[in-house]
Amino acid sequence: MVSEFTVWFGRLTLDEAGELIDCHPFEKNPDILAERLLELQEGGQKVPATAPDLRRLAFDCGFVDMDEDYDVLLRDVCIRAAKNRISSTDTDDVRIVHAVEALDDIDKNVNELSERLLEWYGLYFPELELTGEPLSRFVLAFGSRANVPDDHPLFEKASKSMGSELSFADEELLRSFASNLCSLYDTRRHIESYIVTGMGSLAPNLADVAGALLGARLISIAGSLQKLASFPSSTVQVIGANRALFKHLRSNTPPPKHGIIFNNIIIKNAPWWQRGKLARAFAAKISLASRTDFYSGKKDPSIKEKLELKLTAIRNANPSPPKKETKPGGKASGARGKGRKKKGGKR
Amino acid sequence: MSVEELSDGIFEIDLDGRKTLATKNIMPGISVYGERLFREEGVEYRLWDPRRSKLGAMVLKKFEIPLKYDSTVLYLGAASGTTVSHVSDILRDGLVYAVEFSPRTMRDLIQLCDQRPNIIPILADANKPLSYAHIVEKADVIFQDVAQPNQAEIASVNSKYFLEKHGHLILSIKSRSIDTLASPKKIFKDEVHKLEGGFGVEFEVLQRKELDSFHEDHLGLVARMFVDGE
Repeated sequence: MVSEFTVWFGRLTLDEAGELIDCHPFEKNPDILAERLLELQEGGQKVPATAPDLRRLAFDCGFVDMDEDYDVLLRDVCIRAAKNRISSTDTDDVRIVHAVEALDDIDKNVNELSERLLEWYGLYFPELELTGEPLSRFVLAFGSRANVPDDHPLFEKASKSMGSELSFADEELLRSFASNLCSLYDTRRHIESYIVTGMGSLAPNLADVAGALLGARLISIAGSLQKLASFPSSTVQVIGANRALFKHLRSNTPPPKHGIIFNNIIIKNAPWWQRGKLARAFAAKISLASRTDFYSGKKDPSIKEKLELKLTAIRNANPSPPKKETKPGGKASGARGKGRKKKGGKR
Repeated sequence: MSVEELSDGIFEIDLDGRKTLATKNIMPGISVYGERLFREEGVEYRLWDPRRSKLGAMVLKKFEIPLKYDSTVLYLGAASGTTVSHVSDILRDGLVYAVEFSPRTMRDLIQLCDQRPNIIPILADANKPLSYAHIVEKADVIFQDVAQPNQAEIASVNSKYFLEKHGHLILSIKSRSIDTLASPKKIFKDEVHKLEGGFGVEFEVLQRKELDSFHEDHLGLVARMFVDGE
C-alpha cells in the first residue's frame, strides 16, 4: 500500500517497505520550514507504522547530500520552531497572572519594610501616629522632626517630642529607606491600574461581575482564563479555601462557604446567615462570566444585572438569622448525629 | 589525579582521593549549570553530579551505559538540560533529540542547544510520539526521565516507533509520580512487568537497580528491545 507522509523536509510518498516512490522537497528556508514543522505537530497526520529512515530519505529526495548538512539544518529549524512556540506562550492571561503575583510579592515586602520603618523612626518621633504609606511619605519629606515647618499640623507634636535626636547619617539612611518604600507604593498602584485595564480587555465580563482584582486573582490561582472557565462553579466558590475544603473532605468539619471570592463586598458585607447562599449565586455568575469571556469575548451586561436580581432575592428571602433548631425532646440523643454534619461553625 | 574511561565518553576521575564522574567538555571553557571544569593533559572535563542526574547516578551504580560516541539518542523529558549536556558531551559524533513538554524549562534548554551543535530541541508531549514523527529518525538509544504516571507506556510507545532493532532503553522510573502512598518496590515491579510486554513491545531487562542515596524512590533500568521472530 502506498502512503503519503509529510516530514519536516518535504512531502513523501512511500511504499509498504518504507521505500521512496515520489517526493517533493520543501524550499530550504529555515523560517518557512520551522513554521511548517509546527503546523505538522498540530496537524495529526497519519504516519507509517514505524519510523522510516528520515535521513536516508532526505538524501534520496535530493534535499541534502551530506550527513552534516542534515544535522545543521534540522537543528536550526527545530531551534527556530521551539523559540516561536515559546514566544507565543506569552499571552494576555500569563501577563495578568504575573502582575497579580507581583502585587502579592510587593504587599508582603511593603508590610515588612513599613513595619521596620515604624519601629525605627519611632525612636526619634514616637508621637507621630502615622503608619504605612503616610509614614513613609512623611519621613521622605522631612527626615528629622526638626524640619517640620511651623504651619504643619504635626508641628506641635514634633517640637515637643520625647524622641531622641536624629543624627545626619541616620537621617539620610532613613530617608532613602522611606523613598524606596514610597516607590514600592507607587509601583503597586501602577500594577493595580495595569490589572484593571488588562482585565478590561482580557475578561470584561469577569471584571464586571467580580471586579478586576478579584477576577485577576481567580485567573492567577486557576492558572489561566481557560482553566477558570472550565471549572465548575462549585470549585470557583471555594478557590482559595483549600485547607478548609480538604479538612472538610477528610473529617466532618463544615464545608467552606467561600474562598477568595469572600473579598468582594457582596459577601464581605453580608450578614453571616446569607453568606453561603450569596457565595453560591456569586460563584455561579463568575463561572458564567469567565466562560463568556473565554469563548465569545463579548461584553454581556445582563450577567451582572441577573446577579443583582438574584442577590436581592436572596437578601429578601433571608432577612433575619435562622432560629436555632430545637431538637425534638425525648428522642434518644445517640441516634442523632449519625452521618450528620455539624451545622454552623466558623468560616 | 588519574583519569579512567568507564565507557564511551564517561570518565571517572580521582581528585585527591575522591572519585568523581566527568565528561569531556565539547565546548571548552563553558560551564553549563555551574559545574566545575578542570583540565588534565590538555583535555577539559566537566564534573558530573550524580545527585542532579539520574544517568550519572546510574553510572555510579555500576550500570553498563549503552551510549556510544556516535549513537543517535532520543531523550524524553529533557528538562532544563543538565543531563542532556553530558549526553551531548558523550555523543561527540552523535545526535540527541531532546523532547520536553514545558515551555518554561524549554527556555533554558534552548540556551544549551544554541551552544551545542548536537542537540535538537523538540517542544512536544512524550505521550504523543506521533506529534514528532516527522522530525525524529530511528534512535539507537532512548533515554527517558519523565515524571508521569504512565512511564512504562510512554517508554513502550516511543520505543515501538523510534527504537532501532536491538536498540536500548535507559529508563528512570519515579515511583512518586505513579503513586505517592504505595510502596516503591511494588510500583517498580508493576512497571517493569508492563514494560516486559504490556504495550505491544517486549523488552529484555538487562539491569535494574534503585538509585537511592542519589535519588529517593527512583529505579534505574537498562533494557534491550526484542524483535519479532526471535
